Amino acid sequence: MKRKPWIPARWAPYVFISPFFILFGAFGLFPLLFSIVLSFHQWDPVAGITGMHFVGLDNFAYALMRDDWLRKAMFNTLWIALVSGIPQHLVALPLAWFLNRAFGRWRNAVTGAYFLPFITSTVAISLVFSSLFSKDFGLVNAAFAALREVPVLGWLMPGQSIDWNQPGYTKWMISAVVFWRYVGWNTVLYMSAIQTIPGDLLEAAQIDGASARQRFLHIVLPLLKPMVFFAVTLSIIGNLQLFEEPFILTGGTGGIDQAGKTAAMHMYAVAFMDGDFGTASAIAWLLFLMISGATWINKRLLGARA
Amino acid sequence: MPIATMPGAAPRGASPARKRARAGESRAALWIGRLVVLAGAFTMLVPFWFMFVFATHSNSEILSMPPPLWFGHSLGDNLRDLLERLPTFWWNLLWSLWVGVATTALNLFFCSLAGHAFALLDFAGKERLYAAIMLTMLLPGFIFMVPTALTMSWLGWTNEHRSLIVPGACGALGIFLMRQYIESAIPRDLVEAARLDGCSEFAIWWRVVLPLLGPALGTLALITFIGSWNNFIGPLVVLRDMDRYTLPLALRSLQGSGQTPWGALCAGAAIAVLPLLVLFAFTSRRLIAGLTAGAVKH
Amino acid sequence: MRPRILPLLLAGLAALAPPTHAARTTLTVAAFPDLDRSAKIAIESWAVTHPDVQVKLTTRAYADHHTAMTTAIATGANLPDVMAVDMDYLGKFAQASGLEDLDGPPYDAQAIAPLLSHFTLGPATGAGRRLRALPADIGPGALFYRADLLTRAGIAESDLTHDWDSYLAAGRKLKAATGVYLLASAIDLKDIVIRAGLADGQGIFFDASGKSQVESRRFVQAFTLARAARRAGIDAKIAAWSSEWSEGFRRDRVATQMMGSWLAGHLKNWIAPAQSGQWRSAPLPGGAAASWGGSYWAIPARAEHKALAWEFIKTLSLDRAQQLEAFKRLDAFPALIAAQQDDYLSQPIAYLGGQAARLQWRAASERVPALHVDRYDRVANDIVNAELDQVLEHDKPIAQALADARVAIDRRARRY
Repeated sequence: MKRKPWIPARWAPYVFISPFFILFGAFGLFPLLFSIVLSFHQWDPVAGITGMHFVGLDNFAYALMRDDWLRKAMFNTLWIALVSGIPQHLVALPLAWFLNRAFGRWRNAVTGAYFLPFITSTVAISLVFSSLFSKDFGLVNAAFAALREVPVLGWLMPGQSIDWNQPGYTKWMISAVVFWRYVGWNTVLYMSAIQTIPGDLLEAAQIDGASARQRFLHIVLPLLKPMVFFAVTLSIIGNLQLFEEPFILTGGTGGIDQAGKTAAMHMYAVAFMDGDFGTASAIAWLLFLMISGATWINKRLLGARA
Repeated sequence: MPIATMPGAAPRGASPARKRARAGESRAALWIGRLVVLAGAFTMLVPFWFMFVFATHSNSEILSMPPPLWFGHSLGDNLRDLLERLPTFWWNLLWSLWVGVATTALNLFFCSLAGHAFALLDFAGKERLYAAIMLTMLLPGFIFMVPTALTMSWLGWTNEHRSLIVPGACGALGIFLMRQYIESAIPRDLVEAARLDGCSEFAIWWRVVLPLLGPALGTLALITFIGSWNNFIGPLVVLRDMDRYTLPLALRSLQGSGQTPWGALCAGAAIAVLPLLVLFAFTSRRLIAGLTAGAVKH
Repeated sequence: MRPRILPLLLAGLAALAPPTHAARTTLTVAAFPDLDRSAKIAIESWAVTHPDVQVKLTTRAYADHHTAMTTAIATGANLPDVMAVDMDYLGKFAQASGLEDLDGPPYDAQAIAPLLSHFTLGPATGAGRRLRALPADIGPGALFYRADLLTRAGIAESDLTHDWDSYLAAGRKLKAATGVYLLASAIDLKDIVIRAGLADGQGIFFDASGKSQVESRRFVQAFTLARAARRAGIDAKIAAWSSEWSEGFRRDRVATQMMGSWLAGHLKNWIAPAQSGQWRSAPLPGGAAASWGGSYWAIPARAEHKALAWEFIKTLSLDRAQQLEAFKRLDAFPALIAAQQDDYLSQPIAYLGGQAARLQWRAASERVPALHVDRYDRVANDIVNAELDQVLEHDKPIAQALADARVAIDRRARRY
């Protein structure tokens, strides 16, 4: 393979990473700067480009101090992120391990079943879930009613049909749907990472008598740490930007008493319904800070680099 | 870590009977585990199942309580309704495929290159550039709708699909994934050997790294394709003609004030999901291929 | 994936690209369901009268359409020639300068204004008191009720419609005698009462000068009645358009619904087709007059084919045949007064037991006031609904709720 390289070796790395920066420079930079500039202006988009006027930090001040719906939306977002996010990973990790070793030929089919929610269109989801979560006739309440008969489990079941649209339950409904949607995705991610663990390492451990649980806890988990970091980062970003599921489950309204309104939904409402793009941009950047903070914490906890 | 020092491991030389006993108890646990997982899989499938069932029922049947649990007879009617309301349906499907495939192909190409650079090469400003790339992942999405629409209109790309493909051709997510995977799964000695042989960096990427990237490429292909497939905000602001729409936008256009043709919509959604199923089946086979590739390593 | 495939794909799909249209003038129309169907009717007639024009219709989901239109006006890119705007969004769109001024030349809409239902033009009048859109259809309000259920409880129609107190009393009687709910949600009650008794030029949430109205007697009465209905147990707490809502009608759980006249069409087509002959239409209680929704057509200020767009809009709004056809096919009550005089309106409606209800709806439409529309009406509506929830669910005192609503509205809406 003695060929004169047509990219000098010194430049190769920069050439390799340049596509990202070129594309970003062309398509990402302008929107970024535009939204930063916009966050210091007031702009009703229907007035056209010339309708912007400068208001300094007023949008940020409003968002942070006077916008009570934003505060509520941030709370909802964090609530849903934790309640749907943590179980996603706690379930996906052992599930990926178990699927990998216990299902043989059927592994792909069963994984596929868990993965299907991820690829279902949201339009169909909105219909199906509003049907499933109906107070009097939904399957979810019917399942609870049936499980109430079961001896031990029955104690955990609610005493009567739940009206999922009531503020106390809206977030649970949304979290359930988000969990349903993404647990398979995380499982697939973890499974693909488990494939990279050298088979002989696990075989040797098995021969030595390590139980499945021990192999999981002491070999698989530590080696999976980078992928866990990756998947959790994606979850954090995705959950803090959550828009689609709460939007379709509450019919775009955010639910009774704004119980199901996430930060991204509020941002959309401020932009397109209040006609206030400036404040929406300010909220977007505040959200960005929140997501950065969360990812930074995640990096400290799970990041692979020393 | 040395296996022998693992806590709880049976001491070396444990009798075969003891080992069989340990194996025996885990077989029952194995079957219980399998049942639990299958029950979970069943629950996962329930909403999906309803989507297919609803595609075969009429509107009043769907919206009645309790909803139908088994297939009905209206599939033909629904398909006819769908195609009548949305005569561009097959075009929409095709465009979604095109945009998805093109975006995915470009991402696989560019992201593996960038991931290769970050994982295997040393250069000035490497970590700073990487951090900058990662930061862009945190930007909340649709606030950029308006400036993006502006950019596309300046470029003359409105109503063109390249305005959907090109901006997303090299995603930060893909670079992240590729770097992680290459760092942990590609043996350095192979790369070093190729370098000593005088291979250009590009040739190393093409001949050494890329063939070993099976699982990562499969995963990235899945992520990218699905992301592109389900994206409707981009097409909403950029596409004007219905015969250029992508599928989610087209299906959504059936939703009106008051009465939505749910039967037709579910039929459309069911068809829309089939390419993704095919893609998943295909890439999951590649994930298995990754297993054998890993075994070759040592 | 080998990158070589990419050019092949490109070539292959370029070959499959949809054929470009012939070199005629193309008029682009953007709408949402089901309004797009009336546009399709107009396109059919234009195929005959304007064979040299190709009309391209783009349909998007209701919310998507308005989002896309907002973006299009903001950026000037992807603008249609003719744009549909729903009543709910009209305030926002008309107030800014993104839509063409129809009062000025060459449109001179002032000349044709008297041809349309008088209350429709107020909401479309934007900044500088210029008309920005033409109405196509309206939704005069009616009280639809199940005659058979009411008869069973010994309630006459006049009991329902005399005034609000008799309406509530009828509800209690109905519940006691048959266990059926009078209405789906107490919020519906609030929606109508806040619109009652308004005169031309007044606004629901804000008066003409922009002052908040939520602490006025109208709102207090609305909240009080809604709370009374909830406490009397006569509302089913069901959100409109949900599956429980339509099922509620089918299962005889809810006996009345106050809504636009087009509800009759929905009832007949899919909500309760089996109940043909059992429903009737009555005027709103207490002499209230309101209109539900309404669709408008506008021309963006930076559109390409404005003259042609104006012709198309005139067809949609002012052509009697078009208006009647849309009425017959889609139950879209015409905004054009000439169309409202047609014999079609005196025909009995089988679903409503042979009642010539269209005449009643026309009479109702003549009494609807031309309200002032503020761009913050939606925001105010959301806030008021949130406060009403507090009153109904958590027993918040009404005066407190309305005061809080006022503060919240001022905070959100009067910033600039």
